[in-house]
Amino acid sequence: MLAEKYADRIQKIFAKYPDRRSGIMDLLYLAQEEYGWLTEQALEEVAALCDVDPTQAHSIAGFYTMYSEKPKGKYWLQVCTDLPCALRGADDFYAALCEFLGVEDGGTTEDGLFTVEQVMCLAACDKAPMLQCNFHYHENLDMEKMKAQIEQWRAEAAQPEQPEDERP
Amino acid sequence: MNLIRGFATTIKHVFEEPVTIQFPEEERPVRERFKGRHALKRYDNGLEKCIGCSLCAAACPADAIWVEAAENSDEARYSPGERYARTYEINMIRCIFCGYCEDACPTEAIVLEHEYRLSFNDRVDAVYTKDMLIDPVPPGGQDTPQVTEPGKFTRSIPEMKDPD
Amino acid sequence: MTDTVTITIDGQDFEVPKGMNLVDAAKLHGIGIPVFCYHPKLDPVGMCRMCLVELGNVAIDRTTGAPELDEQGNPVIRWFPKLQTACTQTVSQGMVLRTTSDMVVEGRENILEFLLTSHPLDCPVCDKGGECPLQNLTMAYGPGESRFIYDDKIRLAKHVPLGKLIYLDRERCIQCARCTRFCDEIVGDDVLAFHERGRRLQIVTISDPPFDTKFSGNTTDICPVGALTTTDFRFGARPWELTEVSTICPYCPVGCNLNASTRMDREFGGKAMIKRIMPRQNERVNEIWICDKGRFGHHHSRHEERLLAPLMRNKSGELVEVEWPAVYKAIAKQLKAHGDQAGFVGDSTLSNEDLWELRRLAELSGGSPRLGLWPATMSGGDVVAQVGVGSETRLQDLGPGSVILVMASDFEEEAPIWWLQVKQAADRGAKVVVANARPTKLDRYASAVIHYRYDEAVGVLNSFTAPLLSGDGQLGQGNGWGALQSDLQNAEVTHADTANLLASAENLVIFLGSEGLTLEQHAELMQAAANLLIVSGHVGRPNNGLIPVWPGANVQGAWDMGFSAEATADLLANPPALWVIGGADVAGEDIRMATALEQAEFVVVTAQFMTPTAAHADIVLPRQSFAERAGTYTNGLRRVQRFYPAQGPIGDALPDWKIFAHVSAQMGGPRPPVAAGTIFRDIAQRVERYIGMDYTRLAWFEPQFPDVGGDDLYYGGTAYSNYGGLGLQWPAEAEAEQPQFSVRPVRTAAPQTDGLTLVPVWVLFDRGHLFEKSELMHHRMPQPYAAFNPDDAARLGLTDGDRVTLAVEGHELTVTAQVGDDNPAGAVLLPRRLSGDATLSTPAACTVQKIESMQKVEG
Repeated sequence: MLAEKYADRIQKIFAKYPDRRSGIMDLLYLAQEEYGWLTEQALEEVAALCDVDPTQAHSIAGFYTMYSEKPKGKYWLQVCTDLPCALRGADDFYAALCEFLGVEDGGTTEDGLFTVEQVMCLAACDKAPMLQCNFHYHENLDMEKMKAQIEQWRAEAAQPEQPEDERP
Repeated sequence: MNLIRGFATTIKHVFEEPVTIQFPEEERPVRERFKGRHALKRYDNGLEKCIGCSLCAAACPADAIWVEAAENSDEARYSPGERYARTYEINMIRCIFCGYCEDACPTEAIVLEHEYRLSFNDRVDAVYTKDMLIDPVPPGGQDTPQVTEPGKFTRSIPEMKDPD
Repeated sequence: MTDTVTITIDGQDFEVPKGMNLVDAAKLHGIGIPVFCYHPKLDPVGMCRMCLVELGNVAIDRTTGAPELDEQGNPVIRWFPKLQTACTQTVSQGMVLRTTSDMVVEGRENILEFLLTSHPLDCPVCDKGGECPLQNLTMAYGPGESRFIYDDKIRLAKHVPLGKLIYLDRERCIQCARCTRFCDEIVGDDVLAFHERGRRLQIVTISDPPFDTKFSGNTTDICPVGALTTTDFRFGARPWELTEVSTICPYCPVGCNLNASTRMDREFGGKAMIKRIMPRQNERVNEIWICDKGRFGHHHSRHEERLLAPLMRNKSGELVEVEWPAVYKAIAKQLKAHGDQAGFVGDSTLSNEDLWELRRLAELSGGSPRLGLWPATMSGGDVVAQVGVGSETRLQDLGPGSVILVMASDFEEEAPIWWLQVKQAADRGAKVVVANARPTKLDRYASAVIHYRYDEAVGVLNSFTAPLLSGDGQLGQGNGWGALQSDLQNAEVTHADTANLLASAENLVIFLGSEGLTLEQHAELMQAAANLLIVSGHVGRPNNGLIPVWPGANVQGAWDMGFSAEATADLLANPPALWVIGGADVAGEDIRMATALEQAEFVVVTAQFMTPTAAHADIVLPRQSFAERAGTYTNGLRRVQRFYPAQGPIGDALPDWKIFAHVSAQMGGPRPPVAAGTIFRDIAQRVERYIGMDYTRLAWFEPQFPDVGGDDLYYGGTAYSNYGGLGLQWPAEAEAEQPQFSVRPVRTAAPQTDGLTLVPVWVLFDRGHLFEKSELMHHRMPQPYAAFNPDDAARLGLTDGDRVTLAVEGHELTVTAQVGDDNPAGAVLLPRRLSGDATLSTPAACTVQKIESMQKVEG
């Protein structure tokens, strides 16, 4: 339970806002950190803490692409396919990426390493096609660059030690 | 003289073939677009085309059609989509065979066929119910209600073709 | 400064109220600006872009601050370069609108083309088809064809249940957010929300149970497409085939105006049948909202268990069917034999006409009539007549400066639409004070919450009154002022801030329930409220006074017709030999009543179903439900409202008034009246409060704002315009030109003893013998329970979920214990009408025994 485990952090989060409801985004981050993704139980806990209905937590988690409501791979690749990026070939890049990894839109590779999904604007239109991997930007991509990067990630993942959390 | 001319016409017709036909032993074929008794159509798989939308009843200038709808389920499916006609009645005394119902039908479920032998002893008998109007199940099809695969017939208006 | 401004719409000048938005302003003068997301009862959001108009403001010279003038001396209009959303702009002096220009027409066409890109266009099977704003506006303003490719339409789930009452069709949704905003702004249950974004935006609920609100049906009315439809009406009929009949909700004191949409049905024997219940606009009562109990609670009117013929006990004691004339004679014979020994009880679902004829029958029977009303939980009909809320009170007018005190009531459970209106008043700036022995849902919106012990209720009101009694007072010594003053001079002032708030309020409305109070205690509480209102001067004008949260639809009418809860209590204390019970399931709801009926010599009951009361009876008379006949109900605001026959009759059932009138005729009374209207004329001549009323006058109506129904479904939703009558309110005595007020000291209750008190409480979705017949609502009805305070539970060794036996007045009830912090100490809260077993109407001492073995319960 978040409330017991992170009592101090939750206290600090609520101290920042005029009402409990406003702390919901920070708490969703916290829950995602704890559970890896936002499970139904996580949403319910957060909603209870903020004194709102779980539906509201679900809604916020659904709107923002930083939250995930399903289990995801170790590397969470979010490709922006909004209009400016699409004009610079993000659509094709995304399709090629999916094909290369052998997954459907929004799917996770069988080895559990990569999850790919399309997201709304990441504010880097000038450097499209681009993607965000675990909240880090990789810009001006093409498939060759991408393949090299994926190899690197695969190698990294094969290392026994855990890479540190890349979340900002 | 005029008398003779008149009788000549009569005599001429005596030798001509008569136009009278021996109904009901003999029947005169009707035109392709003849508008007779209505039929409710089925798709090839036996599902009813009628979705119970009641637009025929709305279009009917004689107020002859009565429709009551109900909901389909995959366990008991009558038509594609969610809605079917639970009750479908046409009062043949009121009907003026104008064919507006045909025009109004979004699924081409109701068609005015060539049957014209409609006679009744009672006003109640003139009300044709759904089981009297609906076509027989086509060969290879299945009678309704059918048990269907979930998620297959989700739409009421399936592109106007026979779903498999 | 005036309160209006002049604006020009399409070349015509109009005076409109300041601060109004452009859609409403245009609407006020009959100019329709099409909208989807805007709703007059909701805040504007400007999401759908359908209300785009060309808009110009008067150009202001920045140096002088005066309007710029052209050569002719007319003000210069500065036009916005692009179309503006009319719903998010408020009027200002000299504003100019074009709503029909080419640019606007093109704008609307484009918006509709976009909205229809992924709309399934399955209008033939859509329940909204025929009354659909999207359909109507597309016909009126649409482009006629689309440039988008048909095959690119996205396909989404068409059958998503949002709870068991509402279905969502994701394809049809145009994402206007009216439903989510309704839940959020109007109700305050944030159980609907959007998920994801862009084209994937969809409505979701994950509350437990899903779509957990008591007002879910209203979202289907304001949905501008067929995305939200009710399970109840699903494919019931096409809207144009329905016949509309005005009716009144038979469940709670709000008296919501309903519209029964009926159609003949083969499975109902070709008779007219209620296909759906919709709200009917009455801005003085329920605005355009109704709760789910009213909307889905109509199934009892044609349930298969309805009684179809009169039943009478034969020699071997069985109830057998007989003809009407035989029962009339039998009842008349019994009444003649027992004379003044008879007791009469009228239910809160009986119309004024029924009650009046019951009273006439009682008067004919000899002796002084003993007229009890049911449920007999609240006293104080006389107090309401004196200080009841002023005529033309509109709860929606309460705002800043108004204070609303809600006391001794679980408000949302007892009067949902009032709860909704009080909640909205709080949002507008009215101060809400909630006083009860336990927290209720309204506490969230309260400026002050007072929790007292049940026996302290009167004391709380006294402590508000006490500080106001300094000085001589405006009443003079003769009217009890002095006595009250000396009685309260030593009263403890426990809630000084709240007392100040109430005293200084511009408007004060008190909603009074009777939770945890016996009838005598409640009579004192009503008087205490009257004292407070009179002393603080909050009587005799609109938006001020007392509103009783009566336990039923026509309890006010019953008081007006001469029935009282005190008489019911007296009937229990001194049981009559012969009971005549109209409609009420007294034995099924109250153990004391069940005992009394068992001991009675003869019992006559009018009933819709074979209730426990009917099972006790010697004669059972099938009564018609509210749906099959005409009549009037008087709501908690004393508004007399008409309802009309909607549904075809069932069996030989008759309206109660007809049954009673026929028996009266057998007793030597006048010939039975032919229609309810005739009886009402009689009432209007003999009941002072109803003088001047008649069926024609009750049926008056006027245009209401916001305009709903009619051709403007896009604006207010599919709630119906009111053509059945807005009803008439009888004035309280305090509204007389020279009102005679009197106050008196009130007795505070004796402090609670150490033992536990069984406190009956109300739940909205109960298993009352009428509402229970709506099977689609069963999932919302709680399992029978008794609620305990944790301390009491610990003392009794109870944990949540234990089975317990409650012993009260020699009866035993077995229920499941529910332990919660919110429950008051010393009390066992037992909801009425939740189990099939009779419970109590008013509190009583009880003992609790835990049942150790579960098998014992089952055995």
